Amino acid sequence: MTDFLLELAGVGGVAAVAWLAGGFASRVCCPADRLFLAERIAWSWALGAAIIASMVPLSFLAHVPPGWPAFLALAAASAAGAWIFRVRKTDQPRPPDASVESSPKRVRLFALLGAFAALGVGLYLLRALTEPMWSNDYVAIWGLKGKTIHAAGTVPSRLFEDPSLCFSHPEYPLGLPFLYAGTAFLTGRWNDHAMALLFPLFQIATLFALFGWLRRHGATRVTAACAAAIVACFEPLYSAFTTGLAEVPLALGLLLFGTALADALEGDPGALRRTALASALITATKNEGLYFAAAGCAIAILFGGERRWKPTFAALPTALVVHGLHLAWRGKLPLRDFDFSSGSAARVAEAFASAARLPGWIGWAQILLLLTLLLLGRRAPEGRWLLALCAAGLGAYLLLPAFAIQGPDWLVKTALPRTSAALAPLAAGAIAIRFRKVVA
Amino acid sequence: MSLSRAGAAGAAAAGLLALVLVAQPWGELPRRARSVARFAPRELAIRRLGGSGTAFDRRYFSFLENARRRLPASAEGVALYGVPPGEPYVYLAHYVFAPKPVRLEPGAPPAGWVAAIYGAARPPGARVLQEWDEGALVAPRP
Repeated sequence: MTDFLLELAGVGGVAAVAWLAGGFASRVCCPADRLFLAERIAWSWALGAAIIASMVPLSFLAHVPPGWPAFLALAAASAAGAWIFRVRKTDQPRPPDASVESSPKRVRLFALLGAFAALGVGLYLLRALTEPMWSNDYVAIWGLKGKTIHAAGTVPSRLFEDPSLCFSHPEYPLGLPFLYAGTAFLTGRWNDHAMALLFPLFQIATLFALFGWLRRHGATRVTAACAAAIVACFEPLYSAFTTGLAEVPLALGLLLFGTALADALEGDPGALRRTALASALITATKNEGLYFAAAGCAIAILFGGERRWKPTFAALPTALVVHGLHLAWRGKLPLRDFDFSSGSAARVAEAFASAARLPGWIGWAQILLLLTLLLLGRRAPEGRWLLALCAAGLGAYLLLPAFAIQGPDWLVKTALPRTSAALAPLAAGAIAIRFRKVVA
Repeated sequence: MSLSRAGAAGAAAAGLLALVLVAQPWGELPRRARSVARFAPRELAIRRLGGSGTAFDRRYFSFLENARRRLPASAEGVALYGVPPGEPYVYLAHYVFAPKPVRLEPGAPPAGWVAAIYGAARPPGARVLQEWDEGALVAPRP
């Protein structure tokens, strides 16, 4: 066990330092209020991971070796910038449910739900760390690029130009490969087993973001813990297969983006900055990140009322900058799996029919219960933004297979279960917020 | 919201939590625990060898890893021969040899590349550089 534990401690140490660095950087977007603590923890990890990842291309551009000096310099610059431009404290009142929540029955229920959330984290830890990351998309795409960048000490142009590497989707963003390479530079070696630890950390950060946002918006501890427990135990997202893939970090990014967008439309302090940062994070993580950023802007413009423009002007530029940097580095590359002239009503119908066959009875029962909860909840202004973003994502994931070169059925079977699973934290937030001050 | 509505919501949430728990692959837990205990003390390549990603052909991963370890530092790329068709074979080869470029069954390896042959077959007149159970490294013909 010793070898692996030492390797794990190395990655854990890097993650802890990055989390701390992200904590200092998070002052730029999260108020120092106690009410923000859980969300600040989540943002700290997201920004810490972003510092590790961005250290790699910035080091290459500056012609310095990626490693601790570069990381610490970047972390210090981020912390200093965040301190200078920190978000002011808001002194928002605590949710008015403290007395109800302190009843012994509620405390026991909260503890039980917390235990289920911890169980979900524990189960994912075991699944993620059983063996080196192995799924096809890790080996062929994310891991291959990260390992190549780390071992070559640069971003070789053949990653984008070599026809024999077309299976690795050269058109995908490089955020996750840079995170892998950055972690390897900081630990001093490429270790695709210990690095799997990053994924349960993304899960933990997601749970903090969900719990914190729900609490800050008036959900009881029990409601927030219930949502976190269900997400923590949601195996289609936190599976052995998705360990190493971009869906797990994207799920965190989408939740941060959705909640920031909702906050921005409600006029919360620091929310525009969070929207801008989350928009950049999701665009750097997966191709659809840019789509979600654009969808968020469209939702804001169409339904956002008098505050519609500010979130749009916050989200779009950062997403476009990240996308533009990718274009500048690798050039414009076609989406390998799609032919947008191939869509037809028959193919859409085939995609929907194929999607309907996927869930099985447990999956359908889960969807039915989700819809029941949605209907039982009360209208919540913040929740509708998350719900709209979720619907935009699900709609795209259902429609895109109609344009798949290898056929709708192929894309539905190979991608839909995991891509749609990344929407789970967003959906949990959208539904649970509809029960604030209700289940008391 | 009435109490009955709150109760219904509580029941639906409890049902949903129960379903996500039921849907967990509980049966694999003992196997995972045994796998961690068995492979954690071993070196990284052995852990991959015993894992899911190489289950389609463990001999093939052993071949790739042995070839990688024997590869001359000067090798600019690896040409692979005798590899069965299939995406997992292609992906694993590229991953194991990264950052060195890999070609499968090229007519002739580019200059500076090394050829690695999976299996016992050897082309006539090939100069074998290194040989092991699963294959060999061969100098490309000038």
